[in-house]
Order: sequence, then structure tokens, then C-alpha cells
Amino acid sequence: MRLAVLRPQVPFARGGAEIFTDTLVDELRARGHEADLVSMPFKWYPGARVLTQAFLWRMLDLEEADGRTIDVVVPTKFPSYLVRHRDKRVWLVHQFRQAYELDRTELAQFGSSPEDRALRRKVQELDRIALGEATRLFATSRNVAGRIEASTGLAAEVLPHPPQELDYRCQGYGDFVLSVNRLDRAKRIDLLLEAVARDAALDVVIAGDGPDRSRLEQLAHDRGLNGRARFAGRVSEGELADLYARCLAVYYAPVDEDYGMVPLEAFLAEKPVLTTTDAGGPLEVVADGSTGLVVTPDAAEIASALGWLREHRDEAASYGRAGKAIASEVTWDRAIAKLLA
Amino acid sequence: MKVAYFSPMPPEQTGIADYSALLLPALRERVDVTVVRRGSRRASRGTDVALYHVGNNPDAHAWIVDAMRRRPGVVVLHDFVVHHLVAGMTVGRRDGHGYLDAMEREHGVVGRLLAHGVLDKRIPPLWEARPADFPLALFVLEHATGVIVHSRYVGDHVRAAGYTGPLSLVPHPAWPVPEITPHALAPGPVVGCFGVVNASKRIPELLQATATVRGTHPELTLLLVGPTAPRFDLERRLQRLGLADAGLVREQWVDERRLWELMAASTVVVNLRHPTMGETSGSVVRGLSLGKPLVVSDVGWFSELPDDVALKIPPDEDEVPTLTAALELLASREDVRVQMGAKAAQLARREHDVERVADLYLAALEGAAGGAAVDDAVLREVSQAAADVGISADTAEATEIARRLAEVELG
Repeated sequence: MRLAVLRPQVPFARGGAEIFTDTLVDELRARGHEADLVSMPFKWYPGARVLTQAFLWRMLDLEEADGRTIDVVVPTKFPSYLVRHRDKRVWLVHQFRQAYELDRTELAQFGSSPEDRALRRKVQELDRIALGEATRLFATSRNVAGRIEASTGLAAEVLPHPPQELDYRCQGYGDFVLSVNRLDRAKRIDLLLEAVARDAALDVVIAGDGPDRSRLEQLAHDRGLNGRARFAGRVSEGELADLYARCLAVYYAPVDEDYGMVPLEAFLAEKPVLTTTDAGGPLEVVADGSTGLVVTPDAAEIASALGWLREHRDEAASYGRAGKAIASEVTWDRAIAKLLA
Repeated sequence: MKVAYFSPMPPEQTGIADYSALLLPALRERVDVTVVRRGSRRASRGTDVALYHVGNNPDAHAWIVDAMRRRPGVVVLHDFVVHHLVAGMTVGRRDGHGYLDAMEREHGVVGRLLAHGVLDKRIPPLWEARPADFPLALFVLEHATGVIVHSRYVGDHVRAAGYTGPLSLVPHPAWPVPEITPHALAPGPVVGCFGVVNASKRIPELLQATATVRGTHPELTLLLVGPTAPRFDLERRLQRLGLADAGLVREQWVDERRLWELMAASTVVVNLRHPTMGETSGSVVRGLSLGKPLVVSDVGWFSELPDDVALKIPPDEDEVPTLTAALELLASREDVRVQMGAKAAQLARREHDVERVADLYLAALEGAAGGAAVDDAVLREVSQAAADVGISADTAEATEIARRLAEVELG
């Protein structure tokens, strides 16, 4: 089968969606399919630019390439699903969240002017039209599927995908808590730092980079964490696998995350995950007292929970092993079989 | 965003006034709404968008259409047929030319000639004799920057009339069920019918069907609630069918509380009509909220009710036998009544929830208030980009760009 995986690309940015789409292409090829990545830059500001950039996808002709038919297109993010194709199988990582649940939050893009309000509605209308054209509609998590249904009335099939391939292993339960995230406000690394400030025995390693880094580093300095919070920046795959292998537990508490690969990665290293009651997608795999701990998004609660894991390493290991059993069920074989069925 | 809200309001006794009283608190939680005083000619300064509730009654809505002509805005089209409204705003104001023009604009020279016939009293008034054939909705739609409808039926007619602007389908909101002390009106099943008693509500057909069903179900009672229309000979029909002395409970106009009590006491709610003016029915929505099995005419909005909540009666030559069979079924099968009632209550909660309706109103208002500016910005950027690479108007490439924009409703 000849497939095009579609990915909007913010130049110079790389995150979970990029890893997912790159891996999907590789996995399709490994199964004998002819697959390629079709990518276009995406900019969502100022003003109506979000719509005109989205419209670029509508102008593409991906019915065939170089005289040969493209059997299936697989759009993965807004606005790639605006593309026209007779077999459009959307596998949605997320919609344009600023038009939905992030509206009127501190992460909002659209203001209160009539033009901004109308712009937001136009984005929603695009979703309704373009997702409604899909021959199959998949969502990477129940959380994403729920948002699609709430915003468009369309029912999406839940189709999770495995995390990136690393040398996952467990080398015990060390003295530090690991955070793996792009550093932006929605990931709430600041809550973790505040928790560390409350427990002098807590150490954290913060892997990842992003626009919130300097603020977070300043916060760590202000709280006098004095080396107990180490900002590792963007780490190599080998370093990341090593951090997963040695950490006590993984902190992952974004606001209403779509799905989140980090819990599955932590589980594959047999590590428990600490998340929050409002984290969204992670709650589909992190169960309190089973594969990790779930607390309210409060620094004291987080400090207490991490302290408990430090004092109960047998339970932490047990949670990690239970998580591994869940993560091991999410395979590319199953995902691709369903995508192409 | 500031919204100027034009609607009849209580204590006016119209369904749309009740509707607005229900909707406004939920809408006000989402947006800054000012209810415009009846008779005002325009919205206040600083208004971002005006919302006009338009129905067919000129007494209730003429002032609203007058205001809309000064400032276009979003129209909630409660009836598709507004001939009576247009007649009231033209003929009723001694503006015969206005009526002639309205008829000609939508129905051509034939329309103008017929309008002359009406003005010269050569033919009966069309708003009484044949309103559905001459709906005159463009009289309203030409001033709409957006249109809200309650049914696909009206939406399709709006498009067929040539309106190309934003169109939103928003369900009729459902009232919360008040605390009611249940009491039985009669020992057997009660068929409740609410609204004006006249021929277009298919009362003659309902009486015939009821009389037949009572042959096998003498315990069945018909409850008729609402004033009798002038010239409708209800008493004679009741006597002829043997319903005058038994099997009938009659109430005239009742207040809201009594309406709920009577509907709660009904086993089945019947709401028939033909022809339809494209309207919805507050009684049917109340019936849904109460979880009552429904019997409706298979027309307009009523046709769009799910089959598992309403038995639908086509207004054809078999109307009476079909209606009879429906009443027979519901009178004799409690399991069917329970199943339909449960589905009805679910539908009310799912589709007609007032919070959901207010969300949909907000979407329509926000889309309308800034939509034109956004469309302009998109078109400006796309056309500039096309021009930059040498694509000029009236070329195949420009046509394709326009087609793709239209597909996704941009620009």
C-alpha cells in the first residue's frame, strides 16, 4: 500500500508528534508499505494566519504523486486534515487546542474581540468540515476522542501508539525523580519545583528544553534548590534511557494532556508515574495505587506523594511493573493493523 | 462581546416570549446581553451584534423587523412562513405597494398579480388562504448577517430561498420540569392535546380517531387544552362523535403551572398540524422533558423527531386510520409507552438542554459578529498570495482556489 503521513511542522520545534510521525513512517515501511512523510510549515498567528496556513493543505493534490496513486493519506494534526483525498484516515494527535479547551486560559491565543471570537469559531468550523470528510477517524487517546466528539459530534476510534523506541530497562529505584517534557507552562514543571522546595530530601532531574526554561531556572534559584533540581536540557536517546533506568519515579502533570508518551516510556522502564487529577490523557494509564499516584495539582500534595514513593520503594517497583504490563500491550503491529483495516 | 437582544418578552403571551425567558439566563452567563425594550428602533451604542427573534405574528414581531432593517444582525427564524408578518407590516400599515413589492420580489409577476387580487379583495387574503405557498421569508432574510433555525426543514428552506450567509441549527431549549403534584385526570389512559383548537391542528381528525379507539378502549380520555379558534365548531363535532358526554376533559387557556400539571397527567401527548409554517412546538418540547410518548404530524420539524420518541402521522388520505392505529397502540401497550417516554426524556436532556442551546447560540453570535472581518482577512491574504505568483481573476487557477475556499467555508 502507498501511504502519505501528513504532518504540519513548526520549524525548529520537535516533540512527541514529530517522533510519532517519523516512527509511523518507519514502521509502515518495515511492514512492506511504501510510506512517506508529507510536511508543511505551520504558523498560527497573527490574526487570520491560522486559517490561511490551514488552507494551504486544502490546495494540495495528494491523490497521486509522480503518476502513481497514493492509496491512503494519514493526517495527524491540525490543519493537515484539511487535505482532500478519497481515503483520508485521520489519526489525530490533537486539534488546535487554543480554539477549544485552552480558550480563555493563560495559554489562550484568541482574545475577546469580535474578530478573535469569530476566528476561533472558524477554526472549529474547519474541524467540523474536514474531520467530517475522513473515511476513518482515529484518536490517540480517549481524551482526544472525547474532545472531538464534544466539539464536532464525530465519533473517533481510540488508537494509541507506542512511545519512541529506546533501550528501556530498570536499574533500580534511585534517589531522584525524573521529569521529561518540553518546558512550557502547560507542563507545570513549576509545581514540581515547588514540591521539591517543600521536601529537602527530594532531588529532580528535568530533561527537555523550551520557552519556559529560564523562568523555571529562576524559580529553582529563588527557592534555593541549590543543585537539587538539575536542568539536563535536551538529552540524547541513550541519556534518556539511562535516566529512566535509574530514577525513582517519573513526574508527569501537564494540564489536560492529549495522551502523553511519557507515562508509557516510564512504564517500559518499570517506573511509577506521579500525575494529577486534571492531567487528561495520562489518567487513561496512570491509576492511583496501581501504576502510580494521582494527586490534586498542588505542590504539597505532590511533595507528599513523591516522599511516599521514596519511603515505599517496593510499592514503587510494583507500580512500575504493573505499568510495564500495560505499556507492553501497545504495539505498532496492533496499531497499524487497525489503521489499515 | 455585547449583544442587543430583540424579542417579545413576558408578560406577552407568546411562545417566543416564554422561549426567551428560558434562554436568557443561560445566554447571559456566556455573553453580555441587553434586552431591547419593546418598540425601540435600534440597538444601543457599543453593541457588537444584534439578535432578532422573528415569528409570524406582526403584533409581536413587526417592531423587531423594523429595527433589523436599520441594523442587520442575526435572525432567529421561528417560522419559515412569515406571510402574516409581512402583511401586517405592509397592508396593515396601509402600505399596499410594500406588499406588492414583497410578493413580486419572491414570487415574480404572478406574485404581484395575486397581491393585487388581495388588495382589491378579488381573492381571499393569501396569509389566511395559502400562506405556505408564499412564505415571504426573504423579507426578513435579506437583512440577516446570520440565521438561527430550529430544524433542518427550515434550514433547507432558508437555503432554497437563496440565503447564502451563515446558518446555524440550534435546537429549541427545554424547560426544566417544575415540581408537580401528580394526580390522575381519569382512570384510563389520557391523550393530551395542547394548543389552539382548530382545523390546522388536525382536531377533527383527532376527534374521529379518539371516537374509534374508544370503541375498543372505552376507558380512554381525550384532554383538550387551549382556546377554541373562532368559527371552529367543536361542540357540534363532539356531539356527533359521542364525545360530548364522556371521554373528554376540556380546559381553555391555562397558566404555565396548570399546563405542566395537565401534561404530566397525560399518558400520551398528541401534537398534530398541517400545513406547517416551519414552526417548532413548545408543547412537544415540554412533553419530551416529561418523558411522554408523542404522536405528531409527519411534517417539518416534527418529522425530524427520532422515530423512537414519536409516532408520526402523514397528513394524507389515511391520516385518520393511521392516527387511530397509533392511539390504539399506545393505549394498549404500556411497554411501548415506557420505552418511548424514556427515549423522549433522554432526547430532551441530550439535545434540548438549555446550556447546550446557549453554547450554540454563542457560537452563532460570535461567528456573525466578527465573521465578515475574518473572511475579508482570509480573502485578502489568499488573493494577494495568488496575485504574487501571477494568478489573476477569471483564470482556472483562481476558480479552483475559490472552489477550495468554499468547500471549507472560508472567505
